[in-house]
Amino acid sequence: MTAALEVTNLVKTFGGLTATNDLSFALEPGESVGLIGPNGAGKTTVFSQIMGELRQTSGSIKLFGTDIGLLSMPERIRRGVSRTYQVPRPFADLSVLENIRVGFMPNSVWGMVVGRPNVEQERDLALEVGFNEADLEKPASDLSMGDLRKLELARTLATGAKVLLLDEVFAGLTVGEITQISALIQKLRSQGITMLMVSHDLPALDPLVDRVIAIERGSMIAKGSFAEVIANEEVRASYLGVSA
Amino acid sequence: MGLRWYHFAAWGAFILGLMALPELVSKGTLRTIIFANYLAIFAISWDLLSGRTGYISFGHPFLIGIGAYTSAILTKRFGFDVELAIPIAVVVTMLGGLVVLLPALRIKGSYFALVTLAFMELMYQLVQVIRPDLTGGTRGMSGIQTLTRGAVNGFYLSSVLMVIVAIAAWLLMRTRLGTALTAVGLNESAVEGSGLSTTKLKMVAFLASAFVAGLGGAFYVHYLGSIAPRALFDINFVFTIIVAVLIGGASTIIGPIIGAFFLTFLLEYLRPWLPGAERYFIYGGIALLLYMYQPKGIYYMLQSGWARLKGSTS
Repeated sequence: MTAALEVTNLVKTFGGLTATNDLSFALEPGESVGLIGPNGAGKTTVFSQIMGELRQTSGSIKLFGTDIGLLSMPERIRRGVSRTYQVPRPFADLSVLENIRVGFMPNSVWGMVVGRPNVEQERDLALEVGFNEADLEKPASDLSMGDLRKLELARTLATGAKVLLLDEVFAGLTVGEITQISALIQKLRSQGITMLMVSHDLPALDPLVDRVIAIERGSMIAKGSFAEVIANEEVRASYLGVSA
Repeated sequence: MGLRWYHFAAWGAFILGLMALPELVSKGTLRTIIFANYLAIFAISWDLLSGRTGYISFGHPFLIGIGAYTSAILTKRFGFDVELAIPIAVVVTMLGGLVVLLPALRIKGSYFALVTLAFMELMYQLVQVIRPDLTGGTRGMSGIQTLTRGAVNGFYLSSVLMVIVAIAAWLLMRTRLGTALTAVGLNESAVEGSGLSTTKLKMVAFLASAFVAGLGGAFYVHYLGSIAPRALFDINFVFTIIVAVLIGGASTIIGPIIGAFFLTFLLEYLRPWLPGAERYFIYGGIALLLYMYQPKGIYYMLQSGWARLKGSTS
């Protein structure tokens, strides 16, 4: 079976700093994998390279067997990989539905002008990620952090993502909101969406992932089930700052 | 596009009101309205690019000037018919703008504004030194063929042009393209993150803006019958356009129109008391006050006032 996402020998250097050091991993279709590591380990840098926001120094990135390592970000998104950000980036003055509409749009000006927005589809997605009917016309600037995360997820899903990269989806959320977002992620998992998830909230991450990859200073230091990786000496040392 | 009956009613009332004006007001007022109409066209043009995408152009007279000069030169120096010269001028504006300003769309924020300002100033210098036999150099050109005679005809022509431009821009901005352009203005990288090429979107906004600027510029020069570099490539002209959009309401169509009429008439009524450049203080003052207390502009104030009125009666 072709991997949904396959990263091979990925290297990214910024001058003398190696942010990603010969990293290789593969995600099977439908798999959910956690990516953990202390601050500055290079988790977000990996995401940025998969999306094409940063160009890798060397190594390859394949999506369902096709090399996407040289494509632009919009092209990659259209091929089915998408990410969310630690700090949500809503279109503040646009309504919830309009925010989602941007995700559904074709990347062709002609298509935008002649095609009508499919409001039904937008509404369904908004309700699916947990918005109430009353929220749909609200501007994004009025939303709480939890709702902003839902909105970001909805817009990302609207692009037709088959592989989702989730960056710190629990940051800044209340306990209740974490429960909601977790339930949403479980639902997406059951729909067969492949996921790579970064989170510092390890207890919340545990039930959402099939396995975990731990990195430090750009290199993989452990992989395996959640319990195995958490028990790993090197992982514990990297988090606690004790030399292993 | 979600067109409703009241949209048609509002546009219909607007057009009827405009068309009835020559019966109601003096010739002098009509002449003022003509200037307001052209300013409205330029303001809509500016808003299509800068009001939506947030790329603030300080060089719009550059585009307007290409349209105006091209049509003036074609008709006066080469004997082209106006009917042919204007479309050519529009195409030349779009191409000229594309070649020169498009690379600038890769520059963000205030740098874009500065680059566009530089282009306007460059154009001002070039027009005077390159082929002054064609452009008329520093003194410009006069005796350019006019399309209309008299205030009433000029009023009708400019009004029809303004209304067509306004409705076309309004319809275009009601499509998903309008939503996408507004989204670029709100958060450009999030638009990229939604799988849309923002370069493409900005180019479309730019071309639409250049189209309207070229069209307005060409018609304007055939209304005035003369053209001079300092009257056109002038920082005051830029600010008048920008202030019209901002006080009327950016990212709307009716906003720039309201702003253009407001400014033009303000200028006209202030003339007896403040004949000189002092009136720009008043301009600046009003723009500043409005920007401090209601940055969304007059149109938004009218809208929320209307909503409050409806809320209190029902």
